[in-house]
Parts: sequence; C-alpha cells; structure tokens
Amino acid sequence: MERYDIAIIGTGPAGLEAAITAKIRGKKILLLGNADLSTKVEKAHAIDNYLGLPHIAGEDLAAAYQKHLDSMGIEITQDRITAVYAMGDYFALQGAGTPESGMTAYEASAVILATGVVAGKTLPGEEQYLGRGVSYCATCDAALYRGKTAVVIGYGSREEAEAEFLSEVADKVYYVPVYQDEVKLNERIEVVRRKPVGISELKTEQGRKMGVLFEGEEAPSLLADGVFVLREAVSPGQLVPGLETDGSHVVTDRSMACSLPGCFACGDITGTPYQYIKSAGEGNVAALSAAAYLDLKRREQA
Amino acid sequence: MIQTVVNNDLSEAKSAAAAVVDFNATWCGPCKMLGPVLEKLSGEMADKASFYGVDVDENSDLAEEFGVMSIPTLVILKNGEKVAERLGFAPEPILKSWLESNL
Repeated sequence: MERYDIAIIGTGPAGLEAAITAKIRGKKILLLGNADLSTKVEKAHAIDNYLGLPHIAGEDLAAAYQKHLDSMGIEITQDRITAVYAMGDYFALQGAGTPESGMTAYEASAVILATGVVAGKTLPGEEQYLGRGVSYCATCDAALYRGKTAVVIGYGSREEAEAEFLSEVADKVYYVPVYQDEVKLNERIEVVRRKPVGISELKTEQGRKMGVLFEGEEAPSLLADGVFVLREAVSPGQLVPGLETDGSHVVTDRSMACSLPGCFACGDITGTPYQYIKSAGEGNVAALSAAAYLDLKRREQA
Repeated sequence: MIQTVVNNDLSEAKSAAAAVVDFNATWCGPCKMLGPVLEKLSGEMADKASFYGVDVDENSDLAEEFGVMSIPTLVILKNGEKVAERLGFAPEPILKSWLESNL
C-alpha cells in the first residue's frame, strides 16, 4: 500500500492550513474530508477577527480556501475516516468509503487530526455497557448476534447499510432512526420511530437483555440481546484507540503533539476557543511539528 | 506465537498458569490491526504467558461462555480464572503495559 508522509483528517481551517504547510515543507500528504470543505465555515455569516480579511462571509472564506488549495495543487480525498490505528512506525486509517467501494484503507507515517469537535452527547448507559451489550461497530460484532435480537440506533441514513448487514446474521433487527428522512430497509427489519433516551440492562426470564428506553416511558419497552449505536461523528478516543483525551477534546502539548508519537491535532478538536484563526494557526504548528517528527525519524533510521 | 483455538477447545489455555486469549473474527477491522501487535508481544512475553486466538465464528460456544459481545476482546486467564479483560484495539505500548500489569 502507498505510504503517505502525513495524513490530514479534516477540511476545516485547521486541516487545510496543515495541508498547505505540509505541502510547502515538501511532504507527501493525504488530505481527507469533504470536497465542500467545512459546512461550519460555509454557513458562518460573517467573521470579524480573521487577520487581513475583515467582515468576511463564511462562503467567501471557503472560496478563498479553495483557491489557495487549487493554486498549490492540493486535492481532497473524499472519505469519512472511521478509525486510526497506531501500528508503531506508521498509522493505518480505515475509511467508510462509498457504498460501491466499501471500506477503504490508507497508511501514513504521521497523522494530523483536524476533525472538529463532536456535537451531541452519548445516551445514558451507552458508555457503561459498551462491549457488554452496546456496540459501535455492526460489521465487527455481527458474528456475535447469530440467532439473537439486536437494536440499531442510527443517527444518519448511511447507518441503514449496517442494519442490513446485521439482519443477515441476527434473528431479529429493530432499527431506530434518529433522523427525519425516509428509511429504506429490507422487510425483515422492524423500524421503530421513537426517540431513544437511554440504554439499560435487564434481567428477564430469558436471561440478561438490553433495554432501550424511549421518551415518555417509565421502563424500557424494547428489549434485545444487544444495542448498536451508530453515529456519523465519533469521539476522538473512539477514532484513535489509545489516544489520551479530555472528554470530547484531544490532549496536546504546545507543538500540537498528542499522546501517541506521530499523531498531532489542531483546531476545535483540541479545545476552546472555537475560532477560525486559532484553528488555522494550530494547523500550521501541527504540520511543522509533524514534518519535524518525520525528519527526526529519518535521521534516526539513517 | 499465538495458537489458534479450534473446536471450542480452550482446555490448554485454561490449565495454563497464565494465558492471554484473543477473541476475533476475520471480518473485523480492529481485530486485523490488533493481530500483528499481539503477535509481536506474544513473542516478547512468551515466558510470562501463552497466547491463544479464538475466531468467534468458528468457536461460538467459547464466545458465549466468556460473554464476549464485542470484538476484539482480550481475556487474561490465570489457572483458568478470568482475571482481566479489555475491549478494542490498543497501540503496542498501551497493550504491553496492560499485559504486564495483569500477568
């Protein structure tokens, strides 16, 4: 597999500045994110404290970013990275890919996390029962649900594919969409249009079960052997197993280095203040630190 | 070295003074990434414990017995007693210190 010097995850101001700086430093980069850059930037009405660009509208800033990328020949690989594994001397990245391509894989010697901050909280009980009845990965854990029942709580229509996959193995699958769009699933999957508010463990005559509590209920009415909670955005600790985090933020030092060697972070993911110019500045530092890390590693190996 | 468990037979691991059991599946991304990390550590720590790999597709009884509901799951057995368990991928230094503190 092609090994990049630096993989940059995220196409907001932090990720883009990191890509530009890393490119100037002559590194072989892989920029992963959205071709539309950042919806957060796009939707901003006006930004008043961005140096040199007073009162700039979000869409104008995004257009300026795009022009800057184009002028340097930086391309965006459109993919959603679902996991980053620290393998020692490199990182293995796993992407969601497209329905046609299936899951994708990339390798890089260093990684810069610029994914922004994850909005939204976990459900009560979700973390408590993780691995003991709650799972984040249907493709991983489907095998354990042969002949069993499962609930899939999906936060976006792309999670429907995971429910389909699970239904090939499990005895019964319930799908709880936490979004408004129409749900398209095979007829063996039962769609439950209610708002989930918690997950708990129950002892029944059939043994231990997981219960999903819905809004307005005193006790959970939907019981199953396991509950899959599938979200578009994952927390940094879930994205990079073993990474030191502080809630929804990643712990970094002044060089934007994370707890795992070769992993750097910048932008909103590192904490407040959530400001465009701060993100861009951190992107610059992260890229220079990643370049220094790679150069040092090369000298050590020589 | 990691010994592959077949036919739900974990008796060798259960009778060992210390054993590390890796529950995995061929179709699980994090399991595949954990494999080489564990393989390396099994060599370095061969004097401390024996290492076993359990494919949950082929050994569903064992997965049931150990209450494995998410993979990869690592279980440490001492004389057949479960003394520690951890879920998911972990980078080598983190996995190593976890193994060292539990073996």
